[in-house]
Amino acid sequence: MRDPRIERLADLIAGYSLDLQEGQVYRIDGEDVSIPLAVALYAAAIRRGAHPYTRITPSGLEEIALEEASDEQLAYIPEPEQIATEQLDAWTSLWGTINTRSLTRVDSERRRLQLSTHYRMVNRRWDRISSGDLAWCGTLYPTQAHAQDAEMSLSEYEDFVHGACHTREGDDPIAHWRAMSETLGARARELEGVRELQITGPGTDLRLVVEGRRWLPSDGKHNMPDGEVFTSPVESGTSGEIFFAFPSVFQGQEVENVRLRFEDGAVVHAEATVGQKYLRSLLDTDSGARVLGEVAFGLNYEIDRFTRDILFDEKIGGTMHVALGGGFDEAGTENKSDLHWDLICDLREEGEVYGELVWKAGSFLSEPEPAVERV
Amino acid sequence: MHRRLAEVLVGYSTEVRQGDTVRIESYNTSALPVMRETYGAALRAGGHPTTNLVLEENDETLYKEGRDHQLDWISPDQRWTFEHGDVWIIFDAVTNTKRLSNVDPERISRRLAARRPLQSLYLERSARGEFRWLICGSACEASAQDAGMSLRQYELVLARAAFLDQDDPVAAWMQFGERLERVGDFLDGVRELRIVGEDTDLKLGVEDRTWIRSKGLRNFPDGEVFTGPHETSVEGTIRFSFPAMMRGRQADDVRLRFEGGEVVEATAKRGQDFLREMVGMDDGARRVGEFAFGLNESISEYTGNLLLDEKIGGTVHLALGLSVPGTGGTNESGLHWDMVCDLREGGEVYADGELVYRDGAFFDGAN
Repeated sequence: MRDPRIERLADLIAGYSLDLQEGQVYRIDGEDVSIPLAVALYAAAIRRGAHPYTRITPSGLEEIALEEASDEQLAYIPEPEQIATEQLDAWTSLWGTINTRSLTRVDSERRRLQLSTHYRMVNRRWDRISSGDLAWCGTLYPTQAHAQDAEMSLSEYEDFVHGACHTREGDDPIAHWRAMSETLGARARELEGVRELQITGPGTDLRLVVEGRRWLPSDGKHNMPDGEVFTSPVESGTSGEIFFAFPSVFQGQEVENVRLRFEDGAVVHAEATVGQKYLRSLLDTDSGARVLGEVAFGLNYEIDRFTRDILFDEKIGGTMHVALGGGFDEAGTENKSDLHWDLICDLREEGEVYGELVWKAGSFLSEPEPAVERV
Repeated sequence: MHRRLAEVLVGYSTEVRQGDTVRIESYNTSALPVMRETYGAALRAGGHPTTNLVLEENDETLYKEGRDHQLDWISPDQRWTFEHGDVWIIFDAVTNTKRLSNVDPERISRRLAARRPLQSLYLERSARGEFRWLICGSACEASAQDAGMSLRQYELVLARAAFLDQDDPVAAWMQFGERLERVGDFLDGVRELRIVGEDTDLKLGVEDRTWIRSKGLRNFPDGEVFTGPHETSVEGTIRFSFPAMMRGRQADDVRLRFEGGEVVEATAKRGQDFLREMVGMDDGARRVGEFAFGLNESISEYTGNLLLDEKIGGTVHLALGLSVPGTGGTNESGLHWDMVCDLREGGEVYADGELVYRDGAFFDGAN
């Protein structure tokens, strides 16, 4: 049965996120569970005069590759994949999966090799996204597996996803995201006047230097749903303590109640009640892994709960998140770590953020100054 | 059974070797288990497999809503596979075999015409041994329904046709291949064939054309020997016993009359407009690009799936349109439409005037 919300989501991605144009070559990637959204995106692209095609793979292939492939096969990048990365005009990744933990028990060395092959392509893709040659948007087709992680039924989870994307019945998604883009853009410009942020909350008193860094709005172009403003803080400027109330799931492994202490920008003490060893191994990824590459405000207030999926969790309205590891070139980062691990700090109850005091209990204290109309 | 099939496809049909690129595709999700097994088997053989589902729903959208430039477009993945790939395996599992019944036939012929250069290219690469493609039968509810049986029954029909019910399927295919060689050796010496059956009396010139022994390498299951007859030689009439299927459309009880190699009369009890549109697609669509004997006796009943029906032991089929490179045929067309004529009850074949085949079987040696 067709879900009109899925068609609305597809129209939003094709029309707003990617702004697909006549004649553009557009690829839709995903696992078989995401077929309904892939079909809707294909139709939306056809209606816009683009040239869509799919790369829909059976779920479970990564596991088979980990069992059967040689190291050389795991490191292999097919030529059509390189061609796509170099030449596509637009691209959508559908992240829905049939089992979010299917790779939890695989050989981690081999998995690292498999992922590094994947990231070689993703990094090149980002070069083209950053230079404006490629429009890319990642999104999620709601499945039972993701609903289960979020501790909801599938129909509840679908309502949640479409709420977060503003693709419910009666919504005007494109108008919503255009307005959101304005607001986030204005907030980002305002934050560019701040030299230092101090974040306080339960177990948290952290100072970050953001002077000279660029704040960027995440306004639904690269992720759907979206809703954050972020930057890469000055590498040596972080000091103090931060506590992450939400569990963090990274590559299928969970770490809970993480506490970090920073001195001169780097983590000097780290503990977790669950996954302590894993936390330490991630911090040892490389020299940049102990340094923050991102600080961000989650501003999508339709996302009101933790779901164990970073696409949603990092945008929870009223939270902040920081990422250990590599930062963003466009923000002015100097951290080139291979790690990028988002950790979410809930500030909704008693969190405060000072430049001057700008944020209290989950919200900025004032509306951003309206954007100056640019002609 | 999926793993067994996958091993045959990778080890025997396409002979995947170290470093080969292997594209594995299907039209719907019922082939997912066998796609996974084939992916694993290709890795074990040292290949570099990639997978994709070519979604049927998208085809419908393209035909109904796509503009001409979109219909004519070929995706970079597909182009690369046909131009540079080593192996391409597609499972013909579908969701609804009649899904394109209400699509304007002109749209279908336009798309076929646009793909013609690429199709010619991959058939030529295949004839030169540079590209190993394989269309593999795959059980699905839609095909079972067309065959008038359950999915479980259809799976058995398919397994039997593919010799997967035998102890050593690869050995069975090798042995069957030797039989196809004998039929081919006999046909290599024939100048003219005459096919006689109900409402059928057709002559074809085949002198010096190459008969290809089709042993499970490009189709699976398989079992036919085919060539491209001389383009101007076909004379007479033929009536096809089974509905002619093409891209989810069909024409029933097709009768063709040929003069000088060209169709001069084409009628169908149902699907007449579609038949006319296809035959009128281009000049080559009126000529015969392929003539073949179906020789797989493990396939006995009509299922409505051409992949199986054209191999039924005791049938012949011809295709209007494109010749298959390597046969010596020179016909060019965007069309290649196979139609099957059952000779098992009273059918006869004469080779250079001599009766060599009756009731679906060659008289001597060959069978």
